[in-house]
Amino acid sequence: MKIFISLVAKEIIAFFRSWGLVAIVLYSFTLDIYIAGAGIEMQAKNISVGYVDETGGGMSEKILSRLHMPEFQKPRLFMSREDLSRSIYNRETMVGIIFDSDFEKNLKRYKRAQIDVLLDSISATQSFQALQYLQNIVLEYSQIDYPVELKIHKLFNPNATTSQFMAMAEMLSVITLLGVILTAAVFVREKENGTWEIMLLTPVDPKLIILAKTFSQVLIVMGGVVIATGIVLFGAFDVPINGSLAAFFLLSFFYAFTSAGIGLFVAAVSKSLLQVAQLSILIMMPLIFLSGAWTPIHAMHPLLQDLSLLSPLRYYIEGSESIFFRGTAFDDLWSYFAGVILLGSVLYFYGFRKIGRLF
Amino acid sequence: MSFGVIKAYMLKEFKELIRSKMIAIVYILPTMIIILFGYGIRMEVTHARTLIVDNDLSKISQDLAQHFQNSKYFDTRIETGVSLQEALQSVKRAKTDILIVIPDGLEKGLIHKERPEVAVFIDGAFPVRASTMENYVKGVIFNAALSIIKESPENLITISSRNLFNQAMRDEDAIVPGLIGLVLLVAPAILSALLIVKEKEEGTIFNFYSSPVSRGEFILAKIIPVFMLHSVNILILFLWATWLFEVPFRGSFFLYWISSELYILSSIGIGLLVSVITRAQIVAIVLTIIITIIPGFLYSGMLMPISSMSGESKIEAHIYPVMYYNHIIYDTFLIGQGLDSPKSRLYLLILALYALFTLFIGSRLIKKEKN
Repeated sequence: MKIFISLVAKEIIAFFRSWGLVAIVLYSFTLDIYIAGAGIEMQAKNISVGYVDETGGGMSEKILSRLHMPEFQKPRLFMSREDLSRSIYNRETMVGIIFDSDFEKNLKRYKRAQIDVLLDSISATQSFQALQYLQNIVLEYSQIDYPVELKIHKLFNPNATTSQFMAMAEMLSVITLLGVILTAAVFVREKENGTWEIMLLTPVDPKLIILAKTFSQVLIVMGGVVIATGIVLFGAFDVPINGSLAAFFLLSFFYAFTSAGIGLFVAAVSKSLLQVAQLSILIMMPLIFLSGAWTPIHAMHPLLQDLSLLSPLRYYIEGSESIFFRGTAFDDLWSYFAGVILLGSVLYFYGFRKIGRLF
Repeated sequence: MSFGVIKAYMLKEFKELIRSKMIAIVYILPTMIIILFGYGIRMEVTHARTLIVDNDLSKISQDLAQHFQNSKYFDTRIETGVSLQEALQSVKRAKTDILIVIPDGLEKGLIHKERPEVAVFIDGAFPVRASTMENYVKGVIFNAALSIIKESPENLITISSRNLFNQAMRDEDAIVPGLIGLVLLVAPAILSALLIVKEKEEGTIFNFYSSPVSRGEFILAKIIPVFMLHSVNILILFLWATWLFEVPFRGSFFLYWISSELYILSSIGIGLLVSVITRAQIVAIVLTIIITIIPGFLYSGMLMPISSMSGESKIEAHIYPVMYYNHIIYDTFLIGQGLDSPKSRLYLLILALYALFTLFIGSRLIKKEKN
């Protein structure tokens, strides 16, 4: 046990001595998560609007005055349809509204009128939402007597803030990536520095060495998780915690071992840190992709849905979402724990065997 | 500058790339990124799992449910006599996306003009999907309501919209061209940075310092292999986009090709700049990823249109080459104005200057390492 502790301590000291690594870990657990949370905004906001008004004002201006921040920029007047369409083709304007010269007349005479809208729909999501905003504005303006009352509740994330979700998903991806890279790096650095043979000669059980090395990196990752959850998730984004924080840390701990297991495998097959980086990225991307971090799993192709059962990150993300947002009770989390622990032990055992052969 | 020296040096680079299996990364990584992200980013919502709890069982409530069943956006299940608690539990377990509760007495309420209340619950865990689903539900219920209003409403204004460039609002069309801009920014930069930093880390850079190879020859020998290898990627990525993702291509291939080559050169220039300030390969990789992936996603116009940006992000977007390139790329794929548009001409010029500028600065600064 004493040997184990001193081996762990050695690795942690070595980690803090390589300032480059410390900087990368700190960056990933703070700024990187912050940028992902604050920067990636997919809800349509600040949409650029242009309009051509052939009616001579009045009604059209009243409608336009309802287009305002944060959804829309101030509508820009264009003198002709050609100007408007040129601006859309140059992608300077996303929504073009045309008030036909008959617009006001039709509305007065037939109680019915039509607005032509040109939409740059290259950004499909934003243009779809822009159209919905416009539709709602026009409906409101028409003051139709709605026969039913519609009460819409958004569960779990009532304000539909992308940032909280993105920040959390990014943190989980960072944990995965660093868990793999850091673990692989402690072994490969010994290979690169030529201290591998010294390690082989030490009168310590190789199993203990492997365990101590992975455990030390898991500790470092867990330190990063605490920093990221405390400073970025709670501090910067006010992520709610509806479940038990302890459960989240426990799940993260198991998950860190899972990614360390992948790291052991990477370490066994690579000779240099460069190969570690390449391999980790190649392994990580499908893992993250299949986890449901970007697209809900049931929206994927059926084949990919089955494959995603093999991604430990899937259980980790669903579990963390349930803990933070849905507030699922600890007893109901067992399936996520089971998924992470099961896949984790398989991966860890495989990596352990693989690197163990080198001793 | 001697051509023979450059050729020999380049041969060495190619051999090393093949021996170290780096060549696989050069071709696997871009393809992997475009396939994973192209399939992975799905913002459109179809087949939202919808549970309608019909507590009214009248003609009108069944009509309303019918409206949902007829839409490809919803996979509808209708149940009766389920308590709100049970139904909500199904959302909590992530088995249902939308829950619609039709109250007992909907029809009666409608007849008496009491504005009965229909409650809708939406899983908000994926915010963009949640707002899209909200709008779908609003639309369906609004249409159903219009059809039962007897007298036509006063002042009805309708919107007739034309979706330009991406009529079906496909996610593939929106994302995939932008991914080409991301890949061709990240991959050549990493490779060119590595080729130089590797020599530094292994100490073989002293061969160059002490040999009569001039700086220009050295840099050309490092740049040309990267340029040639990634020029093939221009074609590969084009094929993935048009063949696998079926993104239409409406512009000129020549413009696509020439702007991509210029863009690769700017990316190589960024790689050179990274190699000036780093000594370890791993640091070079991480640094390049940090400074290229973030603008490649955030400030490229792929996820958020440039015209919707403001303040810092707008400035940030103008600093990196990806915005200029993506404008031309989206134009060649989806719009098809080509060089007729003055903006595209300007952006092409900016790309060329960008490539010249970064390559020039990068190669100037490498000289200083010699001392």
